[in-house]
Amino acid sequence: MSATGTRMGEEAGKSVASKPQLHVLLLEGDSADRELILRELAKGEFEITSDVVQTAEEFRQRIRDQPPDVVLSDYNLGQWRGTEALEILREEGLDIPLILVSGALGDVTAVECIKQGVTDYVLKDSLARLSVALRGALKDKKSREERQRAQESLAQKVEELARSNRDLEQFAYVASHDLQEPLRMVAAYTQLLGERYRGKLDDQADKYINYAVDGAERMQSLIHDLLAFSRVGRQETELKNTDCNEVVGAALKDLQAAISESGAVVEREPLPWLKANESQLKQVFQNLLGNALKFRGAQAPVIHISAQRQGADWIFSVADNGIGISTENLESVFIIFNRLHTRTEYPGNGIGLAICKKIIERHGGSIEALPGADGGTILRFALPAGRPADIQESA
Amino acid sequence: MNSIGTDILLAEESPEEAEVTIRALRREDMTPNIFVARDGEQALDFIFCRSKFAARSSDRPPKLILLDLKLPRVNGLEVLKQRKDDPRTRAIPAVILTSSQEEGALVRSYDLGANSYIQKPIDFEQFGRTMRTVGFYWMVINQLPSANQARKSARQGGS
Amino acid sequence: MTTILAEILLVEDNPADRDLTIDALAHSHWPSNISAVSDGAEALAFLRREEKYAAATRPNLVLLDLNLPRKDGRAVLADVKSDPALRRIPVVIFSTSQAPLDIERCYELKANSYVSKPSTLRDWMAAVKVVNEFWLGCACLPREEEQ
Repeated sequence: MSATGTRMGEEAGKSVASKPQLHVLLLEGDSADRELILRELAKGEFEITSDVVQTAEEFRQRIRDQPPDVVLSDYNLGQWRGTEALEILREEGLDIPLILVSGALGDVTAVECIKQGVTDYVLKDSLARLSVALRGALKDKKSREERQRAQESLAQKVEELARSNRDLEQFAYVASHDLQEPLRMVAAYTQLLGERYRGKLDDQADKYINYAVDGAERMQSLIHDLLAFSRVGRQETELKNTDCNEVVGAALKDLQAAISESGAVVEREPLPWLKANESQLKQVFQNLLGNALKFRGAQAPVIHISAQRQGADWIFSVADNGIGISTENLESVFIIFNRLHTRTEYPGNGIGLAICKKIIERHGGSIEALPGADGGTILRFALPAGRPADIQESA
Repeated sequence: MNSIGTDILLAEESPEEAEVTIRALRREDMTPNIFVARDGEQALDFIFCRSKFAARSSDRPPKLILLDLKLPRVNGLEVLKQRKDDPRTRAIPAVILTSSQEEGALVRSYDLGANSYIQKPIDFEQFGRTMRTVGFYWMVINQLPSANQARKSARQGGS
Repeated sequence: MTTILAEILLVEDNPADRDLTIDALAHSHWPSNISAVSDGAEALAFLRREEKYAAATRPNLVLLDLNLPRKDGRAVLADVKSDPALRRIPVVIFSTSQAPLDIERCYELKANSYVSKPSTLRDWMAAVKVVNEFWLGCACLPREEEQ
C-alpha cells in the first residue's frame, strides 16, 4: 500500500486505504438532500469528513473553529442564501472554495453567482458531477497558493538584493572615504620630494619620483570619483518641484570657461518643471554638457538641449556634434570607470555617465546614448513627469 | 530668483558699500543669492522668515550673515543676540563688517556669538581688497553649514 | 588690528599634516609663532596654561583637527567655547571630514569656522595661506586682556 499522503486534486488510486482526506462543510437544510450529497461524495476519490451547519452564525463560528477544505452550499437556505456564505468567507479572510449544490437556478442567477465568487455549481439532479467540481476547485486553490508562495519568495529575494546593494555602497563609501587621508599624505609628500630633490639626485631618481607622484594623483582622482559615485546612493533623493531651465542655466554657468574657450554654441529649447533633486539633476546636466564640450570634433561644439513629453515621462535630449560613440560602445559608456580613449587623448576617470545613470535611475527614469544625425552623440534620458496637480510653476 | 545657490544676508545701510561687498562675493564659479537688508529689522525679518519675508521657506535660512553694527531701527548687536538666542539660527555663521570704532564693540560681538569681526578699511581700494579676501575665505575656503541644519535644530529644540 | 607676531595653536595628531600646515604658515603673508600639540587633552592643558604649559602664550587663533586621541576635537571645541576665559579665542576646525553632519555639529558647538583639508598639496598650501590671510590679516581678534 503506497502512501499518497493528503495531496489533493490528484488522481488518486481507487484503493480505499489511500484516499486523500477532505473536510467538507455542508450548508443544506434538507436532510434527504444531505444524505444524497454525502453518499455521492463517498463514492468519489476523497476520504470525506463532513460537518453541517444551518445558520449564518453557526457557519461563521464553524469556519473559524475548524476551516473546511471546501464548502458545499445550497442556494436557498431559508433565512439566507448560499451567496451570503461567500461574503462571510471573505470577511473572515479565508480562501475556501464554495460550490453551490442546488436545484435549477436559471442561467442568469448562475452567472451572477459565479461572478460573486462561487467556484462552481452542481445541480442536485446531476450530483455525479460533484467529484469533478470538487477536484477542479481544489486544483485552482492549489495553483493560487503556489503563485502566492512564488511571489513572496521573489519579494524576499528582491529585499535581500537591495540590502546587499546597500551594504556594497556603504562599503564603497567607507573604503574610499578612509583611503583619502593616507593617500593625501603619499601624494603631498612625493610631490614635496619632487620639488625638493628634482635635478639634485640622478635621472633615475627623478623618474621614480615622477611615477610615484603621478600614481598617487591618479589614485586620489579615482577615490574622489568613487566617493562621488557612492554618495549618490547614500543621499536621500528628496524630490522637489524643479524648474529644469534653471538647472541647465546653473550647469552652463559652471561650464562658462570651457564654453567660451571652445567657442561652443548651446541651443536651448524650453524645458518643463518636474519633481527632482535639484543638485543631482544639475550634476547630470553638468556631466552631459561637460562631455559634449570635452569630446568635441574639429569644429566648434554645437549642443542642443530639448525635452519632449512622451506618455507619463519627459524625454530630455542633449545632442552634440562631437566625435561620437561607436555602436558597440553605446551601452558600455555607462559602466563605472569605463573609458573609451587613452588618458593622453582625453582626461577623466570615466565616471561621469555612470553617475548620470545612477541619478536618473534613482529618480525612476532611464538613460541611453544614441548616435547623432551627422556623427556626434545624443544623450537621452527619461524622467517621470508627475501629476499636474503636484507641480506648480511659481511666479 | 535663482533657486540654486547659497543665500547670503548682507545687512548694510550704505548702498555704495553694499555694492562693493556684493561684487566681491560674486565669483565666476558660484552664484550666491545675496539679499541686502537696509536695517536691523529687515535683517531679522529675513532671518526668521516673517513679515515681508513670511513667504520664504524657513527650510532655507541664509547660509551666511554679513552684518554691519551700525544699522537703523535695530542695531547689529541686537540682530546678533536674536540670532544667538534661537536654536534655528544660532549656527548660521555671522561675520561682522563694520566701521564702528565703538569701544568694546569687538568684544561684545564675539560674546554675542559672532564668528568673526572685520573693521572696514576707510581707503576704498583697501576696502575692496578686504572684501575679496572675506568673500574668498567664507565662500570658498570655509565650509558653510547646509540647509538641513535649521530644520534639524528646529525639530530638536526650537519653536 | 593684530599683534605683530600672532600666536597660533595647531592641534593635529598626524605629524605629516602638522608639518605641512606649519610649512604653509611659514610661507604665508602674516608671520606667526606656532605651537603644536597632538591630542585634545594637551590642547586644553595648553590653553589653560596647566603644569608644563604654565608659561604658554594665549593663542590668537586655534586650528583644530576633529579626530584626536585622548580627547576628541569636538569635545575640545565644546570645552573651549563654554569656558569664559577661552571662548573668545577663534577656533577654526581643520579636518578631513566633509560630512555635512560634522560641519553642522561644529557650528552648533560654536566653532568660528570650518575648513576641510584639501586633498592636493597645492590646494592645501593655498587654503592654509588664506586662513592665515583672513584671520591674521583681515579679521580683528580679541586681545588677551579682553579674554
